[in-house]
Amino acid sequence: MQDRGRLGVVLVAPALAAVLVLFVYPLGYSLATAFEAKGGGFTFGNFAKAFEFYSVDIGFTLVIIGLSTLLIALASIAIGGYLTLGENPRAVALLRWLYRWPLFIPFVVAAQCMRSFLAKNGLMNNTFVALGILEVDQTTGFLDWRGIVITFVWKQTPFVALLAAGAMASLDRSTIEAARNLGASRLRILFEILVPQIMPTLVVGLILSFVTMMSVLSVPLMISGESPTMMTVDMAFRINNYGDYGTANALGFISYLLTAACAWVYLKRQVRQ
Amino acid sequence: MKRNLALLAVAAALTATPAAAQQTTLNVVTAGDQNMVDYVKDFLAPRFEKGNPKATVRAVGTGPGDAGSQKIAEKLQAQKGNPAWDVDVAVIHQKMAGDLVREGLLAPYVKDVATGKLVTSESSKNALGTNVTGYVIPMFQSQTAIAWNPALVKAPPKDYDELAAWAKANPRKFGYNGIKGGMSGVAFVVGWVYANTPDSERLMKGPYDASTKAKWDGALGKLKEFNRNVVITPGNAGTLDMLNRGEIAMGPVWVDMFYTWMADGKLPPSMRLQLIGPGMPGQPMYYVIPAKAANMAAAKKFVEMATSPEVQAEGIVKKFNWYPGIDAQHVKAKLDDKTWNKLFVDVTPKDLAAKGKTFPIKQYFDDILESYERRVLN
Repeated sequence: MQDRGRLGVVLVAPALAAVLVLFVYPLGYSLATAFEAKGGGFTFGNFAKAFEFYSVDIGFTLVIIGLSTLLIALASIAIGGYLTLGENPRAVALLRWLYRWPLFIPFVVAAQCMRSFLAKNGLMNNTFVALGILEVDQTTGFLDWRGIVITFVWKQTPFVALLAAGAMASLDRSTIEAARNLGASRLRILFEILVPQIMPTLVVGLILSFVTMMSVLSVPLMISGESPTMMTVDMAFRINNYGDYGTANALGFISYLLTAACAWVYLKRQVRQ
Repeated sequence: MKRNLALLAVAAALTATPAAAQQTTLNVVTAGDQNMVDYVKDFLAPRFEKGNPKATVRAVGTGPGDAGSQKIAEKLQAQKGNPAWDVDVAVIHQKMAGDLVREGLLAPYVKDVATGKLVTSESSKNALGTNVTGYVIPMFQSQTAIAWNPALVKAPPKDYDELAAWAKANPRKFGYNGIKGGMSGVAFVVGWVYANTPDSERLMKGPYDASTKAKWDGALGKLKEFNRNVVITPGNAGTLDMLNRGEIAMGPVWVDMFYTWMADGKLPPSMRLQLIGPGMPGQPMYYVIPAKAANMAAAKKFVEMATSPEVQAEGIVKKFNWYPGIDAQHVKAKLDDKTWNKLFVDVTPKDLAAKGKTFPIKQYFDDILESYERRVLN
């Protein structure tokens, strides 16, 4: 029995060591540095500085990512819903084939594409002008907060839609058929029968998206140079221009708290259920 | 038996060592954009390996901007206790050079290199307030200027005041990349502070006085006002992209990037440059050799080759549109007039001498950026 226990320890050791060395140690180190003054010693100064300079950016980050998460939820419900309830088999097949593409594109590539697509005289507006929908002087660029939201939604929707559509497909179809027989519209079936049942899956997908978007540097950096900007840009700026890891780690700590709060809401919900 | 085998292995290793030592791998680590890595890998390395058949050059890039130099500094600091360091030659920005010299992490190698005598520029002696004489040779000198589109602008502004007036009269036609998206925006802001505060000389030469920044409120307030009428572009390349697409008519750029983009067909050839008064900053990048570089002798040879007039002419000026790092007169002799003049069409040597400034000393530099964050962004 003791031998089996030892074997278990041996088996789990590599994985545990990897987690400790590659995740727990750097996390602990960065959390500790957030409270460390430049010459050493404990301080809240880094946080004071983070709030003094970047409180607007922290709020901006939450608004941008909150808005993106909301739009991602709506778009994934729409895609999942059509894949489940759509009546035109060709349209369903086309959508099924098409919607996953952005899943395989890294954020930095997505940002680079959007940078030339959303610009004032970029591909999108040039197409509108060529089609005669817009005049040249009516065009506006989207390389600001809107561009960030558009890129996030474009990139993250397939991921959440994949989970949502999968969950919808595995539901018992008899409830859908019953509702349909009683004359419910497809929209009503979607929001009163499908969405409530897949809510746990949808929320997991959205939380994972939220956390991913919190960590993205390339998109805000490449799409918009404007201010306010997102916390990741501030962290990079703090390190690159001042060599100031303290304030950068304080910002990291704050963003960690924000994601933790998000996860906590979810866990509480799970426990209640 | 086992012991004998082990002894044999040790003996074999010992006899093998001299042979291995003859084949040296020179680690050349460079900060900066991909073009810097390409320059080392495709231009310098083959030349060096041709002259030194027993050496192989390994080019490593650490990323653009001061962040790239920061990574090199962190690597050297981490190896401080080791007997030999694995960086033989490093190419770093000005801001980090001073720190590394002060920390004793660089070798005073310039006296041992023949081309050391060809270096005359101010920046080879002074890096943002730190005396770096003997530790660095500039690889090139880079300069910022205002790029303008003659199709949209009749006459470019001559100085910061005229530019501010122009931007007001032509809203959203001037663009720059703020301070968080690259150095051309930072340079523009630094130039603005030089233009609108009384003691710009002190900012460049020191001595540092922490109370100076209190006098910048007016200048930064004006800049905040100015920002309302301009476009903030995403990065150095973002400014050039927007110029190319005609979305903005004017913006600060790096001169070398401007000419390289033009040569690649990413900017119309009609675009022009104007170095506005009282001046805009530029900066060199330095060749340095770490104090305990594993291949010190080969490293010195490499830098000597890289700073020779031939290589400076062919590589730095002709291929990459940078201003030479060693004294220009030695380089000019190696080039035809056409190539030489191309570099000085819009920004003349006289302009460069009068309006090509350095960045401020480190403490003032940090103060300017932080004051911008405080007064302009918040």
